[in-house]
Parts: sequence; structure tokens; C-alpha cells
Amino acid sequence: MRLVIGFVLSLLAGASLAADAQLPAYPEVRPGVALNFPADHGAHPDFRTEWWYITGLLDTADGKTLGFQVTFFRTRPQIDQRNPSAFVPKQILFAHAAISDVAVGHLLHDQRVAREGFGLAQASTADTDVVIDDWNLKRGADGNFRAHVAGKEFTLDLNFSPSQAIMLQGEGGYSRKGPLGSQASHYYSMPHLKVSGTVARGGKPAAVTGSAWLDREWSSSYLDPNAVGWDWVGLNLDDGSALMAFQIRKADGSALWAGGSFRSADGTTQRFAPEDVRFTTGRTWRSPRTNTDYPVERMLVVRLPTGEREFRLTPLFDDQELDSRGAGGPVYWEGAVRSPGGRGYLELTGYFKPLKL
Amino acid sequence: MHGPIIPVAPLLSVSALKKAVPGGRVLFGDLDLTLKPGEFVAITGESGVGKSTLLNLIAGLDVADAGSIAIDGVALDSLSDDARTLLRRDRIGFVFQAFHILPHLTLAQNVALPLVLQRGSSSDAMARATQLLDSVGLAGRGPDYPKALSGGELQRVAIARALVHRPALILADEPTGNLDPETAARILDLFAKQVRVSGAAALLVTHSSVAAAVADRTMKLTREGLAEIHAV
Amino acid sequence: MRSERNSISTRCARWMIAGEWRAHPGRAIVAAIAIAIGVALGFAVHLINASALNEFARAVRTVNGDSDLQIHSVTPFGFDEALYPKLARLSGIAGASPAVELSAGTSEDDETRITLLGLDGLRAGFVTPNLIGRRVEIGAPESEDALDESSLFLSQAALDETRKNIGDTITLSAAGHEVAFTIVGTLPGVAEGQSIGAIDIAAAQWRFGQLGRLQRIDLKLAGGADAENIRANIIAVLPADAEIVSQESAARRSDSLSRAYRVNLDMLALMALLSGAFLVYSAQSLSVARRRSQFALLRVLGVQRRALLAQVLAEGAVVGGIGAGLGLVLGLALASAALSFLGGDLGGGYFEGTRPQLIFAPVAAAVFLVLGLLAALFGSLLPAREAARAQPAVVLKNEGDVIDPSAVPAVWTAPILLALGGGAALVPAVGDLPVFGYLSIALMLAGGVAAMPLLARLLLAPLQRFAFAAASIDLALKRLWGAPSQAAIALCGIVASTSLMVAMAVMIASFRISVDEWMVQVLPSDLYLHVEGDSSGGLDVELQKKLAAVPGIAMIDFRKNVPLRLSPDQPPIAVMARTVDFNDAAGGLPLIGQSLPVPEGAVPVWLSEPGQWLYGYRPGDFLELPIGRETAGETTRVFVAGIWRDYARQQGSIVIGNEDYTKASGDVLRTDAAVDLAPGARPRDVIDAMRAELPPLLAARLTVAEPQELRALAMQIFDRSFAVTYLLEAIAILVGLSGVAATFSAQTLARTKEFGMLRHVGVLRRQIVAMLAAEGALLGTIGVVAGLALGLAISQVLINVVNPQSFHWTMETRLPYGLFATVTIVLIAAAAGTALFAGRRALSGDAVRAVREDW
Repeated sequence: MRLVIGFVLSLLAGASLAADAQLPAYPEVRPGVALNFPADHGAHPDFRTEWWYITGLLDTADGKTLGFQVTFFRTRPQIDQRNPSAFVPKQILFAHAAISDVAVGHLLHDQRVAREGFGLAQASTADTDVVIDDWNLKRGADGNFRAHVAGKEFTLDLNFSPSQAIMLQGEGGYSRKGPLGSQASHYYSMPHLKVSGTVARGGKPAAVTGSAWLDREWSSSYLDPNAVGWDWVGLNLDDGSALMAFQIRKADGSALWAGGSFRSADGTTQRFAPEDVRFTTGRTWRSPRTNTDYPVERMLVVRLPTGEREFRLTPLFDDQELDSRGAGGPVYWEGAVRSPGGRGYLELTGYFKPLKL
Repeated sequence: MHGPIIPVAPLLSVSALKKAVPGGRVLFGDLDLTLKPGEFVAITGESGVGKSTLLNLIAGLDVADAGSIAIDGVALDSLSDDARTLLRRDRIGFVFQAFHILPHLTLAQNVALPLVLQRGSSSDAMARATQLLDSVGLAGRGPDYPKALSGGELQRVAIARALVHRPALILADEPTGNLDPETAARILDLFAKQVRVSGAAALLVTHSSVAAAVADRTMKLTREGLAEIHAV
Repeated sequence: MRSERNSISTRCARWMIAGEWRAHPGRAIVAAIAIAIGVALGFAVHLINASALNEFARAVRTVNGDSDLQIHSVTPFGFDEALYPKLARLSGIAGASPAVELSAGTSEDDETRITLLGLDGLRAGFVTPNLIGRRVEIGAPESEDALDESSLFLSQAALDETRKNIGDTITLSAAGHEVAFTIVGTLPGVAEGQSIGAIDIAAAQWRFGQLGRLQRIDLKLAGGADAENIRANIIAVLPADAEIVSQESAARRSDSLSRAYRVNLDMLALMALLSGAFLVYSAQSLSVARRRSQFALLRVLGVQRRALLAQVLAEGAVVGGIGAGLGLVLGLALASAALSFLGGDLGGGYFEGTRPQLIFAPVAAAVFLVLGLLAALFGSLLPAREAARAQPAVVLKNEGDVIDPSAVPAVWTAPILLALGGGAALVPAVGDLPVFGYLSIALMLAGGVAAMPLLARLLLAPLQRFAFAAASIDLALKRLWGAPSQAAIALCGIVASTSLMVAMAVMIASFRISVDEWMVQVLPSDLYLHVEGDSSGGLDVELQKKLAAVPGIAMIDFRKNVPLRLSPDQPPIAVMARTVDFNDAAGGLPLIGQSLPVPEGAVPVWLSEPGQWLYGYRPGDFLELPIGRETAGETTRVFVAGIWRDYARQQGSIVIGNEDYTKASGDVLRTDAAVDLAPGARPRDVIDAMRAELPPLLAARLTVAEPQELRALAMQIFDRSFAVTYLLEAIAILVGLSGVAATFSAQTLARTKEFGMLRHVGVLRRQIVAMLAAEGALLGTIGVVAGLALGLAISQVLINVVNPQSFHWTMETRLPYGLFATVTIVLIAAAAGTALFAGRRALSGDAVRAVREDW
């Protein structure tokens, strides 16, 4: 469950199409479809949206901790499919990258966006191989993912090496997002990716190591009309277990839907029903820029077979708000968090104003 | 030159002439003057008494307030401006204090000007002009331009021009006023001599007593009028 | 002590100047006005041009969207889009934004056109952010829809011109296609006054038949990249039908077209200023002549020569300063009026469609202020020297008129100046401007004026031998012959203005007649069709067949004009596809010289005269034409078979056979046609029948004209583009004539005593008047004769040097005899009249007193 940048989503809105326009037929996400690798590491261009979403924490040689995210999105706009132009935006690719450094005190971020075509922007259907200009994310023959993103303020060259099996979310990768069966996505995660590589700032590359989390999701229908936003968290726990939990909120702040899963180090996985997940707020932080209140310190309670388990989530630092309105995106909070015995990423959307998807 | 003595009609007769300057000051109120043909009269007087005005009135260039002027018995005030001009052209010669020789004409052309105006034959006119230039001591200078001439020489040209068309009356207004005394005396002599040779009457306005010496009669113009000064 | 003396003489000069102007304010005012007119004209022309160019540059910048570098296609057909990824991947290029650029009509009945850009908003947002639309929602939730193929963003100017609002539907026609769009927002980054529309690039390619083609790619360079290196890398991958355009080359391109026209206008304005200087000269001569004795007295009283010189120069400077200041204000007003009534090109037709804002140019203002001052000082210099040179003693004795008729006027100055002028005419253009052509004209003018004293003598010498019955004429002749330098002063005004006017008149008449005859040659058919719209659209083969079948048409020749950018620095040359008939010279083309035999297999083209000048090709040369529409970047090798005369396209044109064009370009659409009617067919019927064959929107954009209408229109445009020239010329003549009047006044005033003496010795008043009139008429005659001769010589420089060098076309000399006769009569009459007028004023004074007065 990850935020698809509003800008890209809004492209789907479609306004005044010609009466005879031939619009794309988006396939519905259905249960019981077995995922098939490495093809499902690649793109699913028929579906409306899709993303490769990597977040994690890095440790530098001098002992500092950095949060980072490298994300690639694909979306299929509502465009007349008959247009033979090579420029027709049948697929739009978007990438986003950010790092969280306590010393900086706010997020550094950058992005790329392009319509697919001319080899300048493309997403392979065979395996993970997404390119937008000079940014790319690739899965090699060794099964490792490599990302290169070069922003104005930083350049990331990171290698992600899987240390555990793929973690299918929901029912074998069919993950529900709302009360309707069609409000769902194909969803798998790869927690506990071992990270190595460099983070360059000011032209000086510094070697880093760390752990990351890859989320892969593709879908055609997502949010319920009553939803205004969601909270999501993914934690790599020190004992080798992994936790993912989300709730989709209504306008009154109550949960419209919730879900997630917990996989212990031995590989046994517990899937959460909506009532198994409960988020409460420990502390809110008000953004001085947007005057938005974010519940940056949270208490997450999930029901496991062993009973309820509590995770206190503490941000690496408060100001991890991301204002992407300049690039046509939404305002949200996405930050590195610590939890006793683990660390990961927390995403808070729809607090500035309701999101539409 | 003694012809038969017959009663001679006056060439110029001025009677009861009155002229006031603009502003009302009366120059003369009742002026009488008669000139017989061939008579040489000098009029002296202080500056501003109206000597030049009197000449202009006689030349028909100015109009009197009262009284009459007749030349050869013809009253000027009966003539139009054009007729007066033609009278001047035929009967009167002028010599000015400031010479007034046209710089763009040769000396001969300057002298011949009155003849040209009378539409005489051009060659005759030039011959006559050359002759006159000879007589004023400028022999052979006819084709020259006035540029290099001295004041005395210029006045000689002017005298020649005044006489070239054999006028009956010569009006001279301070002809030596712009000349040094020595030259003035020579020019005055020349002027008197030439006038007498031509047989024209002359009215010479001057404030120089030297000038008066060459005249038949000398009169003095004052506020009270014209009074004859008898030679000492 | 010294400074005290200086201050005394300064105060003295101040009294004198103030006294002079109090006594004769009119003359100083007229002189100041003359300077003001010169400065105003020059400044206005400069401001208008600067504003128009600025506007043009702004337009170019806006359409180019502030990109660092732009790749543009050389024809409206664009280049292959495959260039886009190649450029995008070059190192040093931070962003590449592909674009379809079309000229679009916005409605069926209106001629409103906009530049329609098909953009990839995702790319343009980075490279040319000012071309990104802002969606204005009407009651709908916020969305940033930039990909929708029916969405159109219009700049404010485009909205105003089309009288549409956000939310309206609008049909755009471009490249032969008509597509309806919904106006969803504005282009806030587009400069005021620019009519621009933006749609999605894929929609543009699909809907307007541009699949696979791009007209341009905007580039953003990476910070610190080596621009020269990048340029070289770009050129390595650039196809023949695309070129690199930078802000500078775009500016040069717009500048090159109108520069010659602007320089010509500037020259005319400078002539007006020169006339102003002449008027100052006349006025100052007059005032110096009148104050000759005053100056003599001052000299006698101990004022130094230098101080007198300074006084007269100071008078000139004050007159010039006031005039120039006035001129700047006047120029500003004139420029703003001209901009609103005539447009930025003063009717020249160079900046169609732009409505420039007047911009004030402080540097130019200062320059013209100084020019005005200099003109006045220059005009005062001779009178000042004369005033200072006067011998006080002589002047006071009233012999100031130091005329010496025996002096022979200088013989050598004039021929040397004239010879130099002739030589300068042979020097080629400098930077595409006929600099030496203008120098030649200036030298010839100077030579002509310098020749006046001698010429006056030579012309009057034969008359000297005759004795004229009328004394007045005799006197007039003698006076003119005897005082040639005095005559020359009056003459130089007449000669200068007459010769300039005659030269311009001959040039314009030659041009006009040449154009008129040319029109007859190039328009031999009965009807001419034109489809309004851009050159990439037009009538397709189907419609062409339908039209050809319309009853009453004996023959129809479909044609096409396509702009082709052969050089980044030049405006596009026109490629004109038409039927070329080998039996008939070159198919009705007015050829200059012969058409060469075409080598086996070669594609013949006929280059226009300006095209030959601009690009340097000669008959027999081969050149590569990048007009391939489908074949990416391929060029067609063509053979220049001949040069033809073309007055319509200053940017040059290339005529190519219809089949050859279609083969080379793949373009079968035609925008024009020439129709020969069958005997007895009525044009109106045929036109109606043709319209009926076309789809309604196309029919509405079809204009049909008969040759006589086209000729009338062309002549109207011709006359409009010369309107300003006529105006400037008229002003120059008026200034010249008033100069003559002033000179006459000065001279007659100085001759008052002469008139007085003449009156004394029996010259009638009317004889003096007649003498003056005769002098004036004689002077006028000499002036006109000399002016005609000089004008004819200068006209040859204009026709054979200035015109070919500025506009790159030649013409046959045609003499407007009627105009010559009129000019002769009017000028002689005017000269006599002014002399008379000046003389009457002098005579109205007391001639009697004049003789008496010593000063």
C-alpha cells in the first residue's frame, strides 16, 4: 500500500474525450491469480497503476543513520488507444527519491516523469527494468536490484540484495483495500533487503550499508470513494521478522479498511483482517509550512495468534513532510521511523487535504 | 557759353512748402526756392533741420504736407508715383553720401544704369558711360568691379552716373560726407566742374562751408526758413 | 581683470541675443522647428524600429519558451521525430522538449491565426516552463489534466482575439486538418500580446497529420556544459531538414529582413535633419546680415572676434537645443501615433501581426539631442565666421557687401567631390548595408552644391551677351552673374531638395513601373485561387481533381508556396511549386537573362534575384534542397537553371516544377492555383462553382482574385510602404523651400540700400519687384536644372547600388516626365514667389531712408 503521486493519478481523471474515443480496458484484480517470477517483477502495463517502492535506513561509515526512498511508478492514463503517435501517453512513468538526514532536518528529494517511448522512459514486462532518462531500477541475473537516481542535491547508487523469500501480501498476493472485492491490488513485498552502495552529496560519494523494504503493487481500482487518505508502515525487525500494516481512513478519521501481515523469522506469516490492526496517535507535529498536523508518533497494535502486539513508532526526526505540489503532486509525510527492536518507514497521507485515487 | 538772353522759366520752383516729421515737429513751414537752369545752389544747415528731406521732396520720393514743387513747370503732386519715377529717371541725377555703387556691376555698367533704364541702345550707353568715366578721371577702368575702389573713386563713379543721362537737375546729398577733407575738396571740385560742363542745375546739400564756395548761391536752412547767404 | 572683461562680453552677447530674439522671434522659432522636425523624424523612426524589433524579439522568445537552444525544422513539414531521443541522450543536455509547431486558423470567417504548439507537458515543464498551461476549472474539481487530447490552453491574447472563454469549444484548422478543442486553461507564462495555443503533442501529431514529424525540439543545457562542444555534438546528428536556432540567430533572422528598410528610413530622417541645419544656416545668415553693422560696432567697441563667433554659435546652440528637445517630445508622440496607425514597420510589411509597445530609448534620445545640436551649430558655423570676419571699418562705412564678381568660383572642389561620389557607388555593400551607396549620395550632393557658383555662371554666361529690353531682367541677370556665391547660397537649398526629390521620384517611379509590369508578367491567368492557411495544408489530390473539372475552366495550375529555412540567419526562402512550361521561356516567369539547358536527369529550379543575392548561387550551380517530407533528413539536389525577377519576396524564392516538388517532398497538397477560363466563361460563375466543390470550411478560406485586383492590391501595398518615404520627402522639400525663402530674405534685406538707390535713379517699384521675381525664377531654373541632373545621377545610385544592396533586386530606370515638368514649374514658381515675397517685405521699408542711413 503505497502512495501513488497525485499528479500521476490525476492524469487518469480524463475530462472531455471524444465520443468515439477508444479507452483502455483495465483488467480487474482478482483473487487466485498466482504470481509468477521473474515476470511479475516486471511491469503489468494493462493495469492502471503499478509501483516499485523501496524504503529503508542506511548507516554511513561515520555512524550516521539516513532514511531513503527510491520509488518508480507506472500509470496507464485514460487515453484514446487509437492514436498512432509515438508520443501518445499510453504509459506514464514517474520516479521519486528522497533522503532523510537528521543533520539536514528536512527531506531532500527529486523526481523524474516522462511518457513511455523512444527508449527514454520504459518499463520492461520481463523483469524489473524501469528507466526514466538517467534514473533506473534493474533486477540483475543475480536477483539483486540496482538503483541509480541522480537528483540536484544527492545521487544514490544502491544495490539491494534479497536475504529472505518474497512476502506475498493478502491472499497469495491479492490484497483488499476496501469493502468491495474489486478494491484490491496485486501486492508483494521484499523485506530485509541488504543495502550496499554510495550516497553522494555535494559530489562526494560516501559508502553506505543498511536494510530496505521493496513494495510491489499493481491495480486498476484502488480507493473507496469515501476514503480521504491512509497510514502505512513497514518494519524490518531485528530478529528477522517483518511487519506491514495499513489503514484507510474516512473523513472523520476512523478506519474504512485496514490490513497487513506479520512474517516471523521462520517464515510463518500472519495476515491481518481489518479488525486486527489499530493505529493510535502518540504525538502530532505541525508543519510550519503547510500548518498540517501529522500524527508522527504512533502506537500500532496488531493482533497476532500470540495475542496483541504493540509497536511504538518514533520518527527519525519530525520534519519528513514532502510537499510535491510544485511538481503537481500532493502534500504528505513519509519518514524513517524507529520502533523498539526494528526500523522502517511510515507514510501518512490525506492530512493536508483529502486524496483522490 | 553765352546764349541769347531770353527770360528763362525756372527749372525748379518750390513754394510755400511745409513738412513736419512724424510726431509733429515742423521742419519748415513756408519754404520757397527757385532754381534756374544751369544754376548751382548749395544749401547748408545744421543736422536735423531737414536738408535731406527737402531733397527727397524735390525728387518726388517724399510728400509734402503743404505747398508745391514744380519741375519744368510740372507740379509733382499732380503726378503718380510711377510718373514721378519716370521724371526722376529722365530729368534728375543723384549723388549720395554713401556712393551706392552696385558691387555686382562693372564701373561702366554702374554708370550706364540710368541709360539702360531709359532703354537706349546698349552700345551707345556703354560708350557714353566710358566717356563719362574718362571725364571723372577713371579712364580705362570701365570693365573693373567696384570692390577695390577707394571712397573717392567710388564717388567719381557716382558723379559719372548722375550725369550720364544728361539730367536737367542734379541732387547731391552730402557727396563728400564720407570722404577725408583732401579727397572731399578734390571731389567737390570735380563735381562742380562736371555739373557746369553738363549745363545741369544742381542742388547740393551740405553742412560743409567748403562746398558752399563752389556754388552760384548758398542758402542756409534754419527753423525760420531758407535764407540766402551772401558770399563774403 | 581678464575674467571681468570676459563677463562683460558675455553679458554683452546675452543682451545682443536676447535683443535679437525679442525683435525677430519668428526666425528663431522657425529654425528651432526645423531642427525639431529633423530630430523628431529621426527619433521617431528609431523608436518605432526599436519597439518593433523588441516586440519581434519578444515574440520569438515567447514562442521559443526560454529554452537555451532550439532545433527547428527548415520547412513546415518538420523533421523525423527519431532525432528527439538522439538529442535527449547527448551528454550536456539536461532536457529535451519535443514540439509540433503549426500555424493554426481559429475560425472559418476570421483571419485570426495562432501559433499552435503540440507539447509534451512533462518535458516542457522542465525545459520551457513558460509554455505550460494552467487549467482553469469551471465548477469541476481540481485536476492537472495536460494529456487530454481535446484540451487546449490559449494565451490571453489568443483568447482575446478569438473572443472565446475558458470552457468554450473552438475549431482549429492547421496543416489541412480541422479539429475541435475545448479551451481548458490559459498560458500564464506567455508574454502579453502573443497569440499562442498549446495542446498535447500526441494529439497534435495525430489530429493534424504530423505523425512521426516534429517541427522543433527545445533544449535545456546542463549547468556548466560546454555550449560549443554540445553544438558540435548536435550538428553531428542533425538531419538536413533541421537546424540549430538560438535567440541570437532568431533575432538576426528577424533583423535581416527589415534592416535595410530601417536604415533607409533613418537616412531620410537624417536628410530632414540636414535640411534643418540648412534652415538654421539660412536663418542665421539672415540675422547676421541684418546685424552686420551691429557686429561691426561691437568690434569697434572692443568685443573680440572670438566672442562674436561664440555669440552666433551660442545662438545656434540655443536654437538647436530647444529644437532638439522639442523634437524628442514630438518624435515620441509621432512614434506612438505611427505605431498605432501604421504598425511597427511603418507600413513596410515586415512585422505583420505584431502590435509593439512603444519603448523609450534614453541613449537614442541623447544621440538625437546631440545630432540636433550639432546640426544647429553646423548651420551657424558659416554665418558665425562671417560675422567674426567682417572688417568693422569697412562695414561701418557701409561697404560691407564685399562682392567681387571678377573672382572665379572654385573649379576643382565640385568635380573632385562628384568623382569621389561616383567612385563610392562602385564599392560593394558593407554588412548587407549600402553604406558606400549612401556616402556616394552624400558626396554627390555636396559636389552638386559646391558646383553651384560655377554652374550658375556657366548657365548665365550666354544670357549675359544679350541686352534685355526689360531693365529688370537685365539687372537680375547681372546681379546673379556678378554675385554667384550669393546665388549659390539660395541655390543649394533648391538643388539639394530638388535632387533628392527627383532621385527618390525616379527610383520610386522606376520601381513602381517595374513592379507593375512584372505583375502583368507573373499574372497571365484569368483567376488566382488561394487557400488561407498555413503552407503545410491545402487542397488534396481529390479536391484538385474536382476543381479542375469545374465547367468553364480551360486550364488550372495548382501551386504551393512553402517557407524553407536555408540558413539560420536568414528568414525562410519561399519554395514555389508550379507548372513550369519549357516551351514558354520559363513558364511565364520573368527571367533575367536566359534559362540554361537542364543537364540530363537534373531537377531544374529558378532562383529569384534576392535569393541569388542572399545565398550566392549562380545559374548552373547545384544546391541541396531539404524539402523531403517523409524521407527523414533527405535532401533533393537541384540545378539552378536561371534567375527570375521577384519583387514580392525580399527573403528570396525558388521556383520548382510541380512534379519535381511532389517527388522531392512527398507533399501533394496545394494552396494556390492559377486558372485560365474557357472562352465565354464568366469568372463569377466559375468561382461559385469552384466554391461549391469544396467542403464548407475550406470554401470559406478560399480567396479568389482576378489579376487586376491583385495588381491593384499590390500597388496599394507598394504605395503604403512608400507612404512614409513620400512624407519625409515632402518635409525635406518644404524645409528646403523655406530655406530658400530665408536666404532670399537675408539677401534682399542686405540689399535694401541697393533698392533705395535704384528707386532714386528712376527704377519703378514694380521693376524692382519684377527684378526680384526674375532673379528668383532664374535661380529656380538653375536650381531645377542642376537638381534634375544631380537627381538623375543620384537616382542611378539608388536604383543600381542602394536598392540591389539593401533589397537585392534590380529594376529598369523609368523617368516620370510628367512629374519632372510639375516639379520644374512648381519650383521655379515657388522660387520666384519666395523671392517676390521676400522682396516686397524689403521694399515695404522706407527705401528713401535706406539710402540715407549709414546703418
